[in-house]
Parts: sequence; structure tokens; C-alpha cells
Amino acid sequence: MAAVARSIRPSAFRALAQRPLAPSLGAAPAFRFPRGTRSFSQSPLAQVKKYTESHEWIELADGSNIAKIGITKYAANSLGDVVFVELPEADLEVGAGEPVGAVESVKSASDVLSPVAGKVIRGNAVLEDDAKTINASAEGDGWIAEIEVADVAELDALLDEAAYNETLDH
Amino acid sequence: MLARGWLASSLHSGARRSVRHNSSYPLDRFAELARRPSSQHQIYQSLSTDPYVNLSIEHFLLENAPADSSILFLYINRPCVVIGRNQNPWLETDLRALYNDRRPGAGKDDAAVYVRRRSGGGAVFHDEGNLNYSVISPRTSFTRNKHAEMVVRALHCVGAVNTSVNDRHDIVMTPPETHNGRNEPPFRKVSGSAFKLTRHRALHHGTCLLDSPNIHDLGRFLRSPARGHILAKGVESVRSPVGNVSSALADSFFSMQAVMDNVVEEFARLYGVHADVVRRARRAHAVEPEIFAGDSWVMGTVGEVQGDQDPEIGKGIAELRSLEWKYTQTPQFTFSTYPTEDDPRERAPLPASLPPSTRVFLRLKHGAIIESNISVSPDVSVASDQASRVNEVLNGQKLHEITVERWTEMLRQGLAGSNGVDDALVQELADYLGDLLGGN
Repeated sequence: MAAVARSIRPSAFRALAQRPLAPSLGAAPAFRFPRGTRSFSQSPLAQVKKYTESHEWIELADGSNIAKIGITKYAANSLGDVVFVELPEADLEVGAGEPVGAVESVKSASDVLSPVAGKVIRGNAVLEDDAKTINASAEGDGWIAEIEVADVAELDALLDEAAYNETLDH
Repeated sequence: MLARGWLASSLHSGARRSVRHNSSYPLDRFAELARRPSSQHQIYQSLSTDPYVNLSIEHFLLENAPADSSILFLYINRPCVVIGRNQNPWLETDLRALYNDRRPGAGKDDAAVYVRRRSGGGAVFHDEGNLNYSVISPRTSFTRNKHAEMVVRALHCVGAVNTSVNDRHDIVMTPPETHNGRNEPPFRKVSGSAFKLTRHRALHHGTCLLDSPNIHDLGRFLRSPARGHILAKGVESVRSPVGNVSSALADSFFSMQAVMDNVVEEFARLYGVHADVVRRARRAHAVEPEIFAGDSWVMGTVGEVQGDQDPEIGKGIAELRSLEWKYTQTPQFTFSTYPTEDDPRERAPLPASLPPSTRVFLRLKHGAIIESNISVSPDVSVASDQASRVNEVLNGQKLHEITVERWTEMLRQGLAGSNGVDDALVQELADYLGDLLGGN
């Protein structure tokens, strides 16, 4: 926990906390986040999940700077049966918008772009043997990479669930 | 042929008049014009038959053209086998029949080359009778059949009315009734498709076998001698009987150019391309490099010169040609001469020159050996000792770097001193593995 805490820059953490949480909480630590905040996932802890226009999701675990990245349910549905996932190697440094993997379905190769800058901790080995896990659970067991986010404040600029869903209507 | 006559007359009518509407640019303006935000419609034909060059120009257009533009790129490659991004060359090709890029100068300099493309899908064979069409368009309006259907309309225009798109997004042809013998398959594939999707863009490229001189034996390039031994992750090709579009046309007027003109015409119709461009495209017969542009469009011929002039295209060519991309991009696979739990298929018998107790198992990741089990002894404990010594030598070796000579050397190192193993046996085993795994 100490290592994780050290790696979070205070300003970034504040920035991250501000947006979804309204003024009352300020720089409150993660475990005091209220339940039921709309843009958060079902977890009572401070999991921040954001989306990109190119249909990736990123979810920070428990107020840390460790995040999982995957493609959205919408993307998985529109790509069709996933037959192969190219996973990143550990320690790969990626910039925001750079490929952190690739997915192949129905003769189509699509890059999976990292929503933020960071360093890859691991690819999801489950996908090596069963690429279709992405179709079954794109935003759960079918995550593609776990990364150490360089600056969690970068997530602020991404879409929240409502904003992402809006992009799908057009 | 109708299309032919129409083409010939257009050569006389539209040509001179259209000069007023568009202007010629020096070739080194290609990249700038392709990137120009107002270049909504772009049509290019390649003068190069180098698949690495053509795929890299195409990739440059995918990455750099305006997000809302629509682009048609036509090219014809010299004989080559092109596999999908996530495929295995040891499984999908016969490396012995192809130019040996692992050992340049080893002979067969004019043989077909091996290429791994950036898009998905399966392995295909190209030659001078195969037209490649590529459409790059906004991802939002893209569907997987859209451009195959565009090409079918063009094929109908040249008289190949028995072509249609199937559920694999391929174009197939029903054979003419006169050919409908008992052994004739109901459909022959004339065009295969593959796609690459980026944030805003969709690339659809397809082959189209118009008049391939290799149509009857192109399968030999796509049949690996190690097929029965390899179990691979990644994408496996779906084999289909193939045919030439020309075979359906009794007409001796058939020409590649007529098909290309019609593809341009259908592309223009689909995307509402300015009439000037179509006029200009009809005139261009791809004999010398030229670039023309109007306010909202670019068209012209491209080729090797773009690879030399644009660093990004040059880099793309170098990447596609690199042995790392071609071989170490391969998804994990195993090679085994005996049935295993994961791959229980019955195996072809070993050559008679090898002891029946010979066992070879390899596990590869990123094209490198990460596990092996090679032994020749019938005695379990001797075999296990042989296997662990050979594994020490092989571990981490990249398969594409292992020539027959290297196999000989490494097997000798691992098996030396073992009872009943002599040089002749090591050589037999090295030849056997080299032959199956591209060690030629």
C-alpha cells in the first residue's frame, strides 16, 4: 500500500476526486467515497472507470494508479467473434493513444489504444487460450492489459459512462 | 466488350477538356496532398509490383489521410504469399517454394516472396494476374461487405455476372454451365478480403484473381509440409477452391485495365467523387508517375519513389521486410512428431532413415523455442537425458535463424556422446527438421 500511495501525485489525486464527487469531499481518501455515485461502477470503493471514443475502457483499482484496460461491450459486439488477441509484454511503455494490444475478429485487425500513458504490468493470459472471453465479458474477465498509470489526472479528460454512451447514439 | 468501347471513346472525349479542371503536381507533393484536409477523395494506382512498397503506401494512407476522406488504391504485386497479421508462416506457407529471405543468396532469387500484412485474415497468393483493391474510408460508415459489393458491380460491368459476395465477405463465382462437371465445386473464390480498423478509419483490402497464370497450382505455395505437426494459436486460413474471373468470360477482350476502370467508376459512384477525377482516372494508364489534384481530390500513380521520398513510408517498408515482423510476430505454436495431449492427431510416419524411437517436440513463442523435447533413444532414461541436453542448446533460439547446418550443429552438441548416435543420424534428423521448418 505504501508503494502505491507514494506513486500517486497529490494534485492528480485531487483532480481525479473532484469531478465525480462534488465539493463536499475535497481530497478525501478513497475509502470515504460515498456509495451510489452514478459514474462509478458498482464497487463501494473508489474505482474510476472511463471510456474513449475509440471504444476502450480503463478502470483504476481502489484509489491506486493501477488500471485495467479493455475494449467496450459495444466494440466487442461490433467486431464479432474475436479469434486472437495480441497482448502486450510486461514493462512496455505506452503513450496515450498508442497501441497496447490488438484484437482480430472476422479478418479485421484492430489496435487497442491505451487511453492514458503508462507502463504495462501484464497482459491478460486468459485471452491467450480463449480469445472469445472478450465477447463473453468485454468489460470484466476479458480485460486486455493491466498498466501502471503515469498520471491518474489524465483520466479526467476521458469520457465517463454517460458521455461514452452518448457517442454510440450517433 | 461494352466496357472496352466505352473506355476507348472516353479517351477521346473527356481528356483534353479535363486538363483545365485539374493540375499536375510534382511527385514529391504526394504525402502533402494525401494529408491535405480538403483531399476528400483520393484515387491511386501503383506502378510498383513490390508488395512491401504497396502495403506501406496503403498503410501511410490509412494513418495520414484526413479522417473523413475516402480513398481507392489499386495495385498488382509480383508473385508473393501474403499471410494475415496473426498467422504462422511455418503453417500457412511452404517456405521451400518461396524466396529464402532468411538466407539471401541461397538461390531462387526470382521465387515468390513471403509477406506478413498488417491486417487480419488468412493467407493468399498474389501474382501479376491478381488485382488488389484497397478502400480506406471513415469507420462510422464502414461495413465489411460494402467494398466487396462495389467490386462485384465492377465485375458485372465487364461481363462477370456470375460473381457475388458470400458470408465470409469474399467474392465467389459460380462456374459457367458448360464447365459444370461432376468435380466442379459450386463456387470458386475469386477475391478474399481483409480489414484493418483504427480509431477513425477502416481499411478494406481485397485480392481479385482476374487472370492468374498460376491459378492451377497456387495451392502449392500455401501448403506447408509441417501442417500435420503444427498446432498454432492465432488465425488459421480457410481453404477454398479458387478461380480466375477471366475463365467465366468467353470474350477475348478481357483486360485488367477494363476491370480497374470499372472499379474506379464504381468507387466514384459510391462516394460521389467529382467527375473530373473519374475523367482523369480514365486517362491515366499507369505508365509513368504522375500526381493530379483539384480542390477536393487527389489522384495519380505512386510507387517506389514514395518509399524513397517519404520517411514514414520508408520506415513501413523496412518494418514489413524485417525478419522480426515476418517471423517473430508469429503467435505461439507447437511442433510435434508424435501425438500430444493438446494435439492428438495421428502423425505421418518418420522417414525410414530415422530410428522409430525418434521424438521431436518444440514449443515456440515469438518465433523462439521456449521448450523442446528431442530424443532418439528407445530407452526412457537415455531419451530423457538426450532431451534435456538438446533443450539446453535449443532454448531461446529463433526458429527462422535455424538453418539445416545450424540444426546439425546444435543436435550434435546436444546428442554427442549418447549411445548409438553418430554423425549420420544427426545429419538425417537435421535434414528432416530443416526441410519441415524452413531450414533450407
